Amino acid sequence: MSENITREQNSIPSSKVQRSTRFVKTGFKIGGNYVKHYSKKLFNPDLSKDQLNEDNAADIYASLSELKGSALKVAQMLSMDKNILPKAYVNQFSQSQYNAPPLSGPLIVQTFRKYHGKTPDRIFDEFNLRSTNAASIGQVHQAMLNGKKLAVKIQYPGVGDAISSDLKMVKPFAFRLLGMSEKELEVYMKEVEERLLEETDYELEVRRSVKFSEACAGLDNIVFPEYYPELSSKRTITMGWLEGRHLKEYLQTNPSQQERNRIGQALWDFYNFQEHELRAVHADPHPGNFLITEDGKLGVIDFGCIKELPDDFYYPFFSLVSNEVFTNKEKTLQAFRDLEMILPGDNEAQIEFYYRSYSEMIGLFTKPYTSGGSFDFSRGEFFEEIYAYGEKIARMPEFKQARGVKHFIYTNRTNFGLYNILHELRATVRTDTFPPHLR
Amino acid sequence: MDSKEKLQSAYMGYVLLHGAQPKTVFIFAKENDIAEEEFYKYFGSFEGVEQAIWKDLVNTAIQEVRGQEIWAQYSSREKILSFFYSFFELLKSRRSFVSFSLNRAPRTLGSPRVLEAAKEEFEQFTAGVLLEGIESRELMDRQFFAKRYKDALWMQFGFVLNFWLKDSSAGFEKTDEAIEKGVNLTFDLFQRSPIDNLFEYGKFLAKNSGIKMPF
Repeated sequence: MSENITREQNSIPSSKVQRSTRFVKTGFKIGGNYVKHYSKKLFNPDLSKDQLNEDNAADIYASLSELKGSALKVAQMLSMDKNILPKAYVNQFSQSQYNAPPLSGPLIVQTFRKYHGKTPDRIFDEFNLRSTNAASIGQVHQAMLNGKKLAVKIQYPGVGDAISSDLKMVKPFAFRLLGMSEKELEVYMKEVEERLLEETDYELEVRRSVKFSEACAGLDNIVFPEYYPELSSKRTITMGWLEGRHLKEYLQTNPSQQERNRIGQALWDFYNFQEHELRAVHADPHPGNFLITEDGKLGVIDFGCIKELPDDFYYPFFSLVSNEVFTNKEKTLQAFRDLEMILPGDNEAQIEFYYRSYSEMIGLFTKPYTSGGSFDFSRGEFFEEIYAYGEKIARMPEFKQARGVKHFIYTNRTNFGLYNILHELRATVRTDTFPPHLR
Repeated sequence: MDSKEKLQSAYMGYVLLHGAQPKTVFIFAKENDIAEEEFYKYFGSFEGVEQAIWKDLVNTAIQEVRGQEIWAQYSSREKILSFFYSFFELLKSRRSFVSFSLNRAPRTLGSPRVLEAAKEEFEQFTAGVLLEGIESRELMDRQFFAKRYKDALWMQFGFVLNFWLKDSSAGFEKTDEAIEKGVNLTFDLFQRSPIDNLFEYGKFLAKNSGIKMPF
């Protein structure tokens, strides 16, 4: 078993690289399919798109099935059931978006003319046409206005459409791939599609960014850029430029344990304040969405993906964190039923089985909350245990069925993402600063 | 506005309102209070009017992009992209006319006759930009082919035009995508590519590998 664990751990980073190349390859193939389609169409205008869709779907299917091994396992562990597929999507999209070629200067000028009625040099005192960073579905440019340095995010055209149509195209193959019925998976797919599409709505993002940065302003050691709604539009967002280092660069400067704890604490507070006080959470704890400023504060620069936690999910889910509920089998079972982890049609043996499996998982996942007020995320054992558990259930036929309400996908992604960043930071944090509310 | 332009806009107004060409030049001239021969001073036929409108559109877009402050800093790739974006932005307010004019044009090999004058303008403009690109070594000067680059751009132009006519996306965003991807690809092909290197390498091996070629 221990050998298994190390192998699993080793395989995770490397598989990430392979995964990305896999998706890049698919992208090329699909591009090729379109070229094929259009060149055929030149000679035969009546050619329908069926062939094209078939070609595309076949190539996506091929790459998804190759994914099954590595990505599936990790994601399975994440969501503890077959929610993995949407996860593979999330990966696929962030990956392919990341690989989108930079927008040309003329297209940026065009975008501004379309949405602001003026070219960028008329709006800003200075505008750098060369982009400095790629954001998930767009790119970031530096600009100056009234002596202030600004970051202007511009979205790639047609991203929203691409997401919807790609999801539609892959769906039938996804169902076949996972051996699940369309009905079972539909809820999860919808959830992912909704979130992905929300991310393309920059007007919504600005409104949320303003709201969240105001709501979180009272937290220690956290800074947000200033947002400029009047300089933003459907495809552009203007915000203040935050100076700082990304997590990786920050860690290379060898910060002291105390400093790392401070950042870790800020991160923990940020997330738990949102989950338990705002009931809506920044659901994309990707290292790229954070900066560490010169004076050792955590800068949050992207509010594209927000997951709201409705009461009927929040209360049963976080009730499991409390010892009082978790040690009481009846209460735990009730929470599992509310969360659809145990279904009305299950027999005695199934109830017992899922009760034990899910209890083990929750026992693991809630460790940071239940370990007496503070938790050391630098410990590898915690993560090894989780990986080992994921490995174990990946082999169980009982988990071939989708269980759990749709809210699990993004909540688990958020919490596990948070754990991972804290692990990278090797931080010890107080975990009782914003405790969950119980009913 | 001189009478030539007046006639053009009167013609466009008529077509937009009636969805068809005027029955005869005589009727059209009468409606505009001019003698029929006045019309023929400027145009040989209604098709001639449409040709002139198209040519003006291309010209306007060219003047507009050349007038932008950043123009001089653009590479030739960006210059062409910029032209495409401006041109299709310009077409937006004349979409009904464009679709009328192109849909009426008989489907022939090559470009529709109404675009003939526009094509000349377009090629003159692109040839200049391409030449700059070749001189600055941004683009590859290939024997025989380099002269045909402008034809590839014209094809691209025709493709985007057809694409735009069928585009139903909000704000014609899909057309922006088609331009960005299509023109970039075309320019990628104009640049030094692996094929050039392969050719060079082949030439080198043929000369130096010691293998005697049978010729």
